[in-house]
Amino acid sequence: MTTVIAARGVTKRFRQPKRFPGLVGSLRSLVTRQYTEMTAVNDVSFDIATAEAVGYLGPNGAGKSTMIKMMTGILVPSTGTVQVLGRTPHLQRQDNARDIGVVFGQRSQLWWDLPVQDSFELHRRIYDIADARYAENLKHLSALLDLGPFLDRAVRQLSLGQRMRAEIVMALLHDPKILFLDEPTIGLDVVAKDAVRRFLAEVNRERGVTIILTTHDLQDIEQICPRLIMVDHARLIFDGELRKLRATLGSSRRLTLEFASDPGVLELTTARLVADEGPIKHFALEREEVSLIDVLSEVGNGRGLKDIKLDEPNIEEVIRSFYQGRNALAQPA
Amino acid sequence: MSKYLAFAQSALQTQLAYRGQVWAAWFGRLIQVFAWIAIWMAVYKDAGSVNGVTLPEMITYAVIGSTLITAWDWRKLIYTLGNSVTSGDVAIYLLKPLRFPLYLFATECGNLTYRIAAIAVPVIIVATLTYGVLPPASLFHGLMFLAFFALSFVLMFLMAALCGLLAFWLMTAFSLEWTLQGILSLLSGSAIPLWFFPDAAQGLIKLLPSAWIGYHPIAVYLGKTTVSETWFYFTLGLGWAGLMAGGVALLWRAAATRITVQGG
Repeated sequence: MTTVIAARGVTKRFRQPKRFPGLVGSLRSLVTRQYTEMTAVNDVSFDIATAEAVGYLGPNGAGKSTMIKMMTGILVPSTGTVQVLGRTPHLQRQDNARDIGVVFGQRSQLWWDLPVQDSFELHRRIYDIADARYAENLKHLSALLDLGPFLDRAVRQLSLGQRMRAEIVMALLHDPKILFLDEPTIGLDVVAKDAVRRFLAEVNRERGVTIILTTHDLQDIEQICPRLIMVDHARLIFDGELRKLRATLGSSRRLTLEFASDPGVLELTTARLVADEGPIKHFALEREEVSLIDVLSEVGNGRGLKDIKLDEPNIEEVIRSFYQGRNALAQPA
Repeated sequence: MSKYLAFAQSALQTQLAYRGQVWAAWFGRLIQVFAWIAIWMAVYKDAGSVNGVTLPEMITYAVIGSTLITAWDWRKLIYTLGNSVTSGDVAIYLLKPLRFPLYLFATECGNLTYRIAAIAVPVIIVATLTYGVLPPASLFHGLMFLAFFALSFVLMFLMAALCGLLAFWLMTAFSLEWTLQGILSLLSGSAIPLWFFPDAAQGLIKLLPSAWIGYHPIAVYLGKTTVSETWFYFTLGLGWAGLMAGGVALLWRAAATRITVQGG
């Protein structure tokens, strides 16, 4: 396994002019210049090997996008170094650009007024993709993500889910060695999320494309990325397998059972009761191997079970429990 | 090179997607041409020639000045460039193996082609049929007009690009657009020929880059310049273009550095 990305002590600080509130403040900003300094990425180091799929996870504002931008060469680290395929991205931006694909969930790279396939055609010309290779990639990738029905529609007429699928296909047309995705599933519905996740997992597996994706959705990581890098407040707090994190912290899936009437005390071996509101009881599913079926069969019929709800832990909870359980966890690799 | 050709093509295609917009622009342009022709006809009512220029020449001047030269919408470039640098959207282009200023130029070439075909040519045809437009003074002047026309577009592109990039530091594209608009309406000569300006002012204004936007191409078309004068102004215009291209490259590099270092 060769290293394709090496980050060493990467820090990014932004300096922004301070704005003062109100009219008087506006006048004040005309004559004085004070700056607030903000550290978006603080001393982050990691290595990523060929064909790895890595999830870069953190709450909003944790510095995920900033890190992606440094790896793609559109931001320069304040200190520390980033090496992508042996290059310094911001110094060899154009060479780097040919070897990577980038998808921003929040910013479209397709040409807004052109049909999807014309955007792809422009992409082919920008990257000088050989005709045969282009045709093959286009056919294969658009079949996988089912782009056929809207290839000839203008991008502005697409739904968010369709647009996202088109963005991802375009980013792969020039056979990049590394694919960066910044919040690729943000705002998508469940079906579209699932399609994107399955596609990315397949691209990683079949084509050996290294994938780095940022997200604040744990399920993205679960389905695509065996490895997880977790950041919070600009710092790297965990680097390793999601399974390892789960195992150490305990799975904290939440199960809510709602009964027609209060069934009284309900003790289960498969789930731990965390809150009891009478007819509504909250459980924590702490063991990975326990499935919903197991719990339900233990509850059994005849108790008047009306509704159930299973919640995956969100990123904030994971980070909270991470801090709580930090001492129990091995040092990040 | 192929990719920049592709950008020009796709700009053309994008314009076609919005072809409804053209009718308003076309009609406005036609009114403007007729208004100028009416003004010159009033001015020439009792005179055969003014400053050695005849009425048919002035009509030709008005038609070329308000169609061909100004067919391209430079305001839009200032806005889109200004917005994309201030908002940081320009980062998208840093992710691709292309040179952003060349990308912009290619796109605007596509826009220009479309606007000439859809707006300038029909207006010229209507004006020719109603009032008559003179042919170029000679084959040399005709060919040189084409070269001057290309140069006027390049210079206009560079001026607009400079303004759009300056918006990155001034945080406003609006005021820059108005300033440029003001300078051009007076000094480019696309509305009022520079030969009607006081002699003392003329000498200087003819040397400013704005004169290449309207005045010089039309003066060449009408044969108001000798062969040596034509070459002199063409060379000088190229010099201005080189200087401004350097300015654009410099500002773009500064903007790109600021975006990548400070995050916009």
